[in-house]
Formats: sequence, structure tokens, C-alpha cells
Amino acid sequence: MARSQGQRTSLKKHPRPGSPWMRGLGAVGGLIAGVTVGTAAAWGHGVDIQSRSSQVIEIQAAYDSGEPMATAQVRVYAPDDPETPRFMGQTDEQGRYQFAPDGPGDWEVAVRQAGHGEITVIPVTEAGAIAPTYQADSGLSPLQRGLMAGAVTWGCVGTALYFRRSKR
Amino acid sequence: MHIPDGVLPAQVCVAGYAVTGGVTWYVLRQIQRLPDPSAAVPKASLLAAAFFVGSSINIPVPPVSVHLVLNGLLGVLLGWYAWPAILIGLFLQAILIGHGGLTTLGVDGAMMGLPALVAHQVFQLWRRLPRSLPQPWSMGIAGFLAGAVGLGLAALIFFGLIIFTIPAEFDLSTERQALTLLVIAHIPLMLLEGTFTLLLVLFLLRVKPELLKGET
Repeated sequence: MARSQGQRTSLKKHPRPGSPWMRGLGAVGGLIAGVTVGTAAAWGHGVDIQSRSSQVIEIQAAYDSGEPMATAQVRVYAPDDPETPRFMGQTDEQGRYQFAPDGPGDWEVAVRQAGHGEITVIPVTEAGAIAPTYQADSGLSPLQRGLMAGAVTWGCVGTALYFRRSKR
Repeated sequence: MHIPDGVLPAQVCVAGYAVTGGVTWYVLRQIQRLPDPSAAVPKASLLAAAFFVGSSINIPVPPVSVHLVLNGLLGVLLGWYAWPAILIGLFLQAILIGHGGLTTLGVDGAMMGLPALVAHQVFQLWRRLPRSLPQPWSMGIAGFLAGAVGLGLAALIFFGLIIFTIPAEFDLSTERQALTLLVIAHIPLMLLEGTFTLLLVLFLLRVKPELLKGET
């Protein structure tokens, strides 16, 4: 009997939930909680840095004159979605850009600047590295270019001489 | 200046081939009507070589680099023959040194060939300049204008083609800014090609004037 009374008494000592005192306490608690969460979001109390190694592919874009395509726009398309770019960015002053492919397959890299550009397909293996079959096209050397120009000029001069001679 | 493969949508490439095909048919018909259609072939052949080599000569105009086009010069000296000479030059550039592309050959041909034909008409204005002007002056002025107009028109067509076909996934303002810079860099090149055409016209007027006064 006394125990039940005691329980009852103790219950009486606690304020009822709907009382003004309880509402005030709840408001203060809510304010403290809000401020705490707010500051946590603003200051970022918990910082966690994790690290892992991954394969990064670096491309370098240059005009055929040898000049790097600086600050050109780069779009990288994953093998499973050739319509939406997975990575977007721009090259640095040396025409370089890095991206980390997150799956195997043929990754398409499009570089564009002022109507000039190129699309290349880079095959990536399961390990994240460039497939050994891939060969970067480095273009023509100045010597090859000079030879081409010489050959075309020679051909054109020959054509000119042929038509000139046949007229006589 | 050359538009490479993969930059333009397929519809534009097809339209470029259609325009170039139609103009080629018309130009060849005009050449066939000449008294001796093969008469200007040696000249056209040599200038096609100059056109081919000219695009390999890069001229730095900071912050970009441009190359000679010489389509205005070909228009002045070749008339109708400038069209096939430019087409052959572009074809060889595309397959040998990778300038331009085979899918964009039609577009590139129209972009450089049509201004060359316009440049020829501009050069013919020398006949309408005042008689009081000495012939070297009138020809020089018309030659300069034709050389500059040929390149300027080509640059404008290039600008228009690229600006209206930028893919949605690329940043429009960045591309437009880079494109504007490139087109502005062609203004000094216009003056250079105009001056080069002027000097060549004056030289030919002295050594072989019949090359300039033909009706081709």
C-alpha cells in the first residue's frame, strides 16, 4: 500500500507533459539541439579522411602544330552510357586532364575548343589500367609532314608540266 | 580553320556534301563552256600545291595560332578553277596530314570554296575602279580586298557553323568565348593574306599580266 502510494507520489513529483514548465523545458532543449546541429553542420566537427589507391588516366591534347590545347573542354563518357558525360572538366595549360575510370570498357574522351577537337576511345581493363592494345595517336612528325608537302607539291608540279606539255 | 571529323552533327555534314556536290556540278559546267577547259589546269595544279602547303604554315597570333588559307588568292588567280583546286587540296590535307576530315570535306569545301568564288568577283571590280587610277593601283586594291574577303568570309562561315552546332553537353559560353578569340585572330591574317595577294598581283602584272586579265 505504502509502495503504491510512494509510486504515486513519485509520479506526482514529475511534471505532467502538457504542463507549461515541460513545454518551456522542451523549447530550451530544442533550441540547444538546433544550435548544436547547426554548428556541427557549419564547422564540420567530424572529419574523416579515407584513402585508397586507384588508376588514373591522363590525357594530353595538342594541336597538330604541337601547341597544347590549354583550357579546352573535356567530356568523358563511360562505356555504359555514351550519351551522358561521366566526368566534365577542362585541360590545364599543358593540355593535360586526368580522370579515374570506375569500370572496365571503352571510355570515350572528347576534347573541344573553338570548333577544333577530337574524340578518342580508351579501352580500360578490369584492373583499371589502359589496355595494352591501345596506341595513342601522336600525329605526324615535322619530317613526315614535310615529306607529305613535298610529295604533293611534286605531284602538282608534275600535273602542271604534263598539261603544259600536252598543249604544245 | 578546317572543321575536323566529329565536331559537326551528321545532318550538317550531309548538307555540306549536298552543297559542295551542287556547286561542283555547276562549276565544272562553267569550265567546260570555256574555249579551252584544260588551259588553266597547270596554273590550278600549282596553286593547289600552294594551298596544300599554306595550311602547314602556322602563324602565332597570341593567344591562339592560325594558318594560311590562301583561298582568296586562288579565287583571284583561278576563277572557276579555284573550286576544284581547293577541293583537291582539302581532300589531300584530310587524308595525308589529318587537317579537316572526310565526313566534313563537303562542309570545308563550301566554307573555303564559296568565298574563293566571291573573291574572284571582288577582284574583277578593278575594271570598275576609276580610269584615273593607274592599273597597278586598281589591281592592287582589288587584289588586297579579294585576298582579305576570301579569308574573312571563310572565317565567318566557320564561326556560324560552329556556334549553332555546339553540343548541349559542352559549356556554350566557354566555347563561344574561345571561338570569338579565334575569329578575331583571323583579322591580322586577313590583312596578311590581302597584302600577299596584292604583292603577287603586282608581280604578275609586271611579268605575266595575261594571268590576271583572263576571264576564267
